[in-house]
Amino acid sequence: MDTSTFARLARQATFHDAGHGYDMFGLHPPTLAAMVSAGAPLYDWYFRVDSQGIEHVPATGAAILVANHGGVLPVDAAMMCLDILRRTDPPRIPRAIADHFVPRLPFISTLFARLGAVSGTRANVRALLEQGELIAIWPEGVTGPAKSFKDRYRIKEWRVGFAELAIRYHVPVVPVAIVGAEESWPLGLKLRGLHVFGSPYLPVPATPLPLPTHYHIRYGEPLHLNGAVHRKSDDPDAIANAATRVQVALERLLDETLRARRGVFR
Amino acid sequence: MRVLVTGATTPLGRTLIDHLASSDDCALVLAVGHEPKLDRPLHAGVIYRPTDLTRGRQVKELICGDAVEHGIDTIIHMAQHRATQDHGRKVHAQNVTATRELLLRCTDHPTIRRFVHRSFAEVYALEHATSDVLDEDAALDFDPAAPQWLRDRIEADLTVCAHFGGPLQIAVLRCAEVLAANSGSQLWDYLSSRVCLRPLGFDPMLNVLSLEDAVAAIAAAARSTHTGVFNIPGADTLPLSRAIAETVRLDIPVPGPLLAPLYGLRRWTAGFEFRYDLNLRRFHFGGVIDGARARHLLGYAPCHPVQWPRSWWRLLLERLTDLRSEGT
Repeated sequence: MDTSTFARLARQATFHDAGHGYDMFGLHPPTLAAMVSAGAPLYDWYFRVDSQGIEHVPATGAAILVANHGGVLPVDAAMMCLDILRRTDPPRIPRAIADHFVPRLPFISTLFARLGAVSGTRANVRALLEQGELIAIWPEGVTGPAKSFKDRYRIKEWRVGFAELAIRYHVPVVPVAIVGAEESWPLGLKLRGLHVFGSPYLPVPATPLPLPTHYHIRYGEPLHLNGAVHRKSDDPDAIANAATRVQVALERLLDETLRARRGVFR
Repeated sequence: MRVLVTGATTPLGRTLIDHLASSDDCALVLAVGHEPKLDRPLHAGVIYRPTDLTRGRQVKELICGDAVEHGIDTIIHMAQHRATQDHGRKVHAQNVTATRELLLRCTDHPTIRRFVHRSFAEVYALEHATSDVLDEDAALDFDPAAPQWLRDRIEADLTVCAHFGGPLQIAVLRCAEVLAANSGSQLWDYLSSRVCLRPLGFDPMLNVLSLEDAVAAIAAAARSTHTGVFNIPGADTLPLSRAIAETVRLDIPVPGPLLAPLYGLRRWTAGFEFRYDLNLRRFHFGGVIDGARARHLLGYAPCHPVQWPRSWWRLLLERLTDLRSEGT
């Protein structure tokens, strides 16, 4: 698929125009199309993304994608969003939930908003789910990119907010394993004293550029958390159990994908 | 419906009075303003009553005298001091004390049953962690360093909210900024300059309300029996850069720390109303109010976009496009 086709997909994707070509969060399909075209060589030639199980991503309606997270910068998130946009029919724009410090970053905050990223506030997520959007969440948060190389693909901290959302709004959760990202651009050093624009630390990568590892993205079967717990979304135990169920499913998917690959660069 | 409207001489007040006077279900409009008389002829069914709402005696005469005499059942309170640079006790009295006095007089009133307070979306705190969509539960801005213009609006809003659950049906409408001349709009004043400076690296989303939609929301709230806080968004949601482009202004991104002194200088020399300190967070983090509650309970949905000014070449281009489509 050539880059112009990518761009056309981005323009055709479902989009709630708030009146001036932008949605209420700042998503702008022409900017997305331009970035999709620019990112296509990375997807096709540099990381050689191999994707399986896209049929598990609902074609319509709200859903939550839950993935593992690693690498100095969110290249894994970008590749996953590109993959979904490219492989869903009709094309869907995943709405990545960014960390709270992102809106403070000049240029980055605007670019992320134009590409569909949203701050993870309660009102934002509710509005997105009510609009039937596809939300992408990385429950490891900043601890994901902060992992050391030896802890790659090991989920350490696991936030549970996504489970509460899934139960409250009756939406399926699709676990997504991203393999290749956590070896691609490992963290070398964390400068904890430097909180640039409110970031928790300043990351120093071990390599100047991301390594051309082979990305494997696997989508697991959707999990319907309501059916499993039969309890209210404000019950902490029910939420914790539901979140653990997703974590176990994701870890299993990660293990299968890691076992199946032939090598980091192959 | 027999309605008392404060702030009747403002552009929003005049448009609302025209709307109510021409509607079938409104028998009488008692228009209240500070000016001795209205600058135009009154519609049938409209009575103008000059009142200084900062004077308790005049408020008492209005509510316990004229309102009872005319059988007023609904009050729409929109009188707020518009100029941002004014401050002091007199301004506070108009913004807050008058609101409190009106409410106290309306409680247990023989005819008044409903109180609609026009509040402002600016009462919400805009921070990096709470940007984008703001629902009615969003945090309010209690920054003690905020200008009086803002602090007064928050105090008036909360003064009205404190009366929820009493005998009076109360609706507080937190309206998006009404983008119109002489309506106290900061964005209007900002966009009136040929050159618009904005923070480098930030292009937040804004939501603006047209006069027509503001009137429709207030009228819907007056007719409804639902109480509580309602966000009233407008039909235009767009980035700041796009708003500047729509008004055909020159958009110059400037490093944020330079903007406050530059706009301070502009206000000091040219006397503009725009205050950068009042808009600093909005120009970085944006904030679009969520009108779901007003849509569900009041039946209000914005449908009148703002009439953005068009440059001559754009008008010509649109005209040529129209002619071409007519020809084909």
